[in-house]
Amino acid sequence: MNIVEFRSVWKFYDQKPVIRNISLAIQENERLVILGPSGCGKTTLLRLLAGFITPEKGDILINTELVASDGTSLKEPRDRNLGMVFQDLALWPHMTVRDNLEFGLKAQGIKPESRERRIRETLRLTQMEGYAQVRPGRLSGGQQQRVALGRALVLRPKALLMDEPLSSLDLQLKTRIQREILKLHREIGFTLIYVTHDEREAAEIGKRMVVMKNGEIERIGPTHPRC
Amino acid sequence: MTVRLAVLWIAVVILAVAGLVPLLTMFLQSVVVDGQFNLSFYAQIVTSSRQWSLLGNSLILASLTTLGTTLVGLPLGILLGKSDLPLRRTFIFLFTIPLLIPPYVTAVSWFDVLGRNGLLSKSYPSLAATTSSWLFGLPGCVLVLSSTFLPVVMILTITFLKTVNPHLEEAARLSSNWFGVLKGVTVPLARSGIFLASLLVFLLSLGEFGVPMFLRYNVFPVEAFTQFSAFFDYGAAAAAAVPLALITCLVLLLEANFLREKTYQLRPASGAALQIRLGRLRNVVFLTVSLFCIVLVLLPLSALLVQSASQAAYTEAIWRAGDSLLRSLLYAAMGASLLVLLGFATGYLIHSRALGICRSVDTLTVVLFAMPSTVIGIGLISLWNQPSTTFIYATPAIILLGYIAQYTALSSRITVSTLSQIPVSMEEAAEISGAGWLRQVALIIAPLAKRGLAGAWLVCYIFCLRDTGITMMVYPPGRDTLPVRIFSLMANGPPDLIAALCIILILCTLLPLSLLAVVIRLKRQES
Ligand SMILES: Nc1ncnc2c1ncn2[C@@H]1O[C@H](COP(=O)(O)OP(=O)(O)O)[C@@H](O)[C@H]1O
Ligand SMILES: [Mg+2]
Repeated sequence: MNIVEFRSVWKFYDQKPVIRNISLAIQENERLVILGPSGCGKTTLLRLLAGFITPEKGDILINTELVASDGTSLKEPRDRNLGMVFQDLALWPHMTVRDNLEFGLKAQGIKPESRERRIRETLRLTQMEGYAQVRPGRLSGGQQQRVALGRALVLRPKALLMDEPLSSLDLQLKTRIQREILKLHREIGFTLIYVTHDEREAAEIGKRMVVMKNGEIERIGPTHPRC
Repeated sequence: MTVRLAVLWIAVVILAVAGLVPLLTMFLQSVVVDGQFNLSFYAQIVTSSRQWSLLGNSLILASLTTLGTTLVGLPLGILLGKSDLPLRRTFIFLFTIPLLIPPYVTAVSWFDVLGRNGLLSKSYPSLAATTSSWLFGLPGCVLVLSSTFLPVVMILTITFLKTVNPHLEEAARLSSNWFGVLKGVTVPLARSGIFLASLLVFLLSLGEFGVPMFLRYNVFPVEAFTQFSAFFDYGAAAAAAVPLALITCLVLLLEANFLREKTYQLRPASGAALQIRLGRLRNVVFLTVSLFCIVLVLLPLSALLVQSASQAAYTEAIWRAGDSLLRSLLYAAMGASLLVLLGFATGYLIHSRALGICRSVDTLTVVLFAMPSTVIGIGLISLWNQPSTTFIYATPAIILLGYIAQYTALSSRITVSTLSQIPVSMEEAAEISGAGWLRQVALIIAPLAKRGLAGAWLVCYIFCLRDTGITMMVYPPGRDTLPVRIFSLMANGPPDLIAALCIILILCTLLPLSLLAVVIRLKRQES
């Protein structure tokens, strides 16, 4: 089943097209990477999907349901059941790790007992058990990554969008977190849409790869891991 | 309609009712006599040579004040914002004090230095006679208003210099000394911001009437006030206010068309700002700035203290104006709270561009801020002085509406700059987690913006507390505030009582500010 579908989507900024006629279908549970140079429109594509911005032309479907069409948004971001890890992580600095995780659960009206269970489960999955009461500012770069990942996954999203989340890490840590992401994907299962400008990272993470250039899809195909 | 849009629209409507509608009503009343369209009030003004000379006086005063504050404020802002001068924060604080108190209090304090019974007269009575006649007139007004509005130029210069990209300065440093860099790169890049500061000073000094009234220099706003308070002639007062309103709008229109774009294009600089090393000049510059600060700020304040220094004066002050003092504190606190709420909404609107009219809202707040308080006061009275609206006209509500009309720009602009420092992703992450708008605001944005909002509250509190013009025009009987009470006692009250009241007023302004400074210092030590 297609979990996400773009149909001839256009997005303009100041009359200049930033996304040009993109059509793309993404399967349930697949690992898709979007690769392309800086400024080619990767972030914009994710923000369109999340519903922060609306396409001027074209349709976007989630779970075969129309969420945006020709300039109107039909579903608010919070009703789209997506998780997102932002490029700057966007951890709320005034909340503890726990509060960061709990915020969305509360907003979705989930009962305290199941909130508790899901927070504990997520802390375990992301190996952050000891850090529930710590604020993000005190964590290392890798730990912050895990919290951001946990915050997105605790809501059990249909799809997880990641926007160059590892670009600020050193190579060693990057490799480790990549492995953890893949492990989480195997364990709990979700659709992963992963944006990067790094070909090696794309090959590590993705099964299928979309190469973008100037707001268009240049090529789609399987990734070829080195070695 | 979403909650978000509903809240934002309500804020816009409140602002319009508090600020825009009164001005329009006032304008209508000035062109309608006995139900007929009639320009007789304007005819009187245009044909009266006295009015033209008043307008001339106003423009001369405003121009000289602008010139003085810009010539001094720009280098001062550069020194305090970009150099390694010692005690920069202390200097910024001290130079800002005159802006935080009603300008006529500064006039009173200079009177205690240069006047017939002032400090100077104790040792040089004949010299004091000269300085006293010099104080009462144009030079004295320029001195007082310049020291009042110097911080406007100084603070905005510091702010705008920070927006200049340091890489551009670095590139210039490769081939030039600091003077050349400032002259060729930094100041030109911040030019529009500095120009905006000068315009603001021009408009604020054009509208000020407490100082010229006390120092007996006849200007246009005093005329509007007199027409209103002495003769109860609304139409004539309105007609006298309209030219001021027009000048304000015209000047800001020019600013909007020629400068706004450039100001907005400046992005906060990335990377650390470059610092000017004063080197061997450091001591000389430090001495000069200290001396200037002592003469301009500390000397008049000390004179005020000396003049007030008797227990009897303070006892009498509390006895005669204690009720006004309490009302002042109450109204200022209420005004500040309302202003922060409203300013948060309009600031959010301007920052997020959620409604098409966001630019107009921003412009409206700025126009209202620069509008002479006499104009706003007359406008409010024109609108609310009806039998059906005495619940506003005859209660402190009209004072609060006046605060909202004049000072929303402060809380709104502070909110905008605070919000622009919070990454959008913070809000988006909350949104994608399922939070509605109110929850996003209450749990994510407001906590992240809390320092900015607390700052906005304090600034609004201070401006409400120092407000003289609006309150003086609109206060219901028996509901005056301390600045108004002092102003009315000034005509024939004993100087030591006046000085004591002024000191009390200054303390009410500076105490919360010092408290905040202490809290910030403690927090810094903690982390
Ligand atoms: N809010 C915006 N306003 C105007 N232009 C924008 C905005 N956001 C992105 N763009 C432009 O759209 C293009 C694509 O940006 P983006 O999607 O962030 O690229 P990427 O994530 O691939 O680096 C860039 O040219 C960028 O300048
Ligand atoms: Mg990007």
